[in-house]
Amino acid sequence: MKWRKNDIQQYVQSKEYIDTILLPLIPIQLSSDDDAEKHASQSEVMNILANEIEKELTGRIMLAPNYHYLKSADKQLESKRLNGWAEDMKKQPFSHIVYITFDSSWKKHEKDISDNLLWMPAVQVGEINSKEMHGIIREQVGQTVELIRSYWQSN
Amino acid sequence: MSNEKQQVSRRQFLNYTLTGVGGFMAAGLLISPIRMAVDPVLKESSAGDLANVGLSVDDITSEPQRIDWSVDQVDGWYESEVNRSAWVYRNEDDEIVAFSPVCKHLGCVVSWEGSENHPNEYFCPCHDGRYYKDGTNVPGTPPLAPLDEYEQEVRDGMLFLGDARPREEA
Repeated sequence: MKWRKNDIQQYVQSKEYIDTILLPLIPIQLSSDDDAEKHASQSEVMNILANEIEKELTGRIMLAPNYHYLKSADKQLESKRLNGWAEDMKKQPFSHIVYITFDSSWKKHEKDISDNLLWMPAVQVGEINSKEMHGIIREQVGQTVELIRSYWQSN
Repeated sequence: MSNEKQQVSRRQFLNYTLTGVGGFMAAGLLISPIRMAVDPVLKESSAGDLANVGLSVDDITSEPQRIDWSVDQVDGWYESEVNRSAWVYRNEDDEIVAFSPVCKHLGCVVSWEGSENHPNEYFCPCHDGRYYKDGTNVPGTPPLAPLDEYEQEVRDGMLFLGDARPREEA
């Protein structure tokens, strides 16, 4: 399910089956040319990745709108905001909230976050539409799907 | 002094010329509306288009295999390339069958023998939905209908697939 009118209508009707939120955390920073390019490219890859995961597990996952933040922002404050999002989402019966990000600085603040954080190293091999990039993303999707399924099985 | 040959009178000459020129102009005016009226008939329908999925018929066995291909799709504002997948195998009657991997419950992607506990079945990772090898849903699991089946055709030994169609209720 995605953050779209039709999907939400369907969600409301079959709430008992959709118990997981997937929330991409995407940093932005426009002040430096080099960083901006890197962040834009990672954001593109993250969107593809998140969409692919959602496609595999449509019937149990809600892909939330991206959470954007300044790369230089204080992560403690950001974690607090994030927990606020999570708290609101849990008012629906969402029992799993999974954050997915390429930004390694979240790793240090994992304990401030009340839910599962999935950090994966960003890989960028040439063009985003190239064959090898497709292969890498497919591989990452497969492994992430396995991981999410293991969260489901643990309770 | 009268000539044997039938002379064309001035009046006849003008009549012929004007009819000719007028007819020509009328034809010129009519040709575009007629072409437009006929156009929908000439246009190939894009819905029924079958796509070559890059799989030779000889490679299809009785074991379902997953194939992926992409088609162009116009969807409202966007024209985009859409990835499609199918599970293809030969059934007991040696017919090729291509199932859509989209679970009929809530749309997750099912896979053949996706769970070790349920061999010889399609398995949906989301809510443990299951389907027998012939695509029929296993009673007692969440899905309420059999897997959709793709329209298919074999041309020059290659498999072509079209749109997925729902099958009869099991």
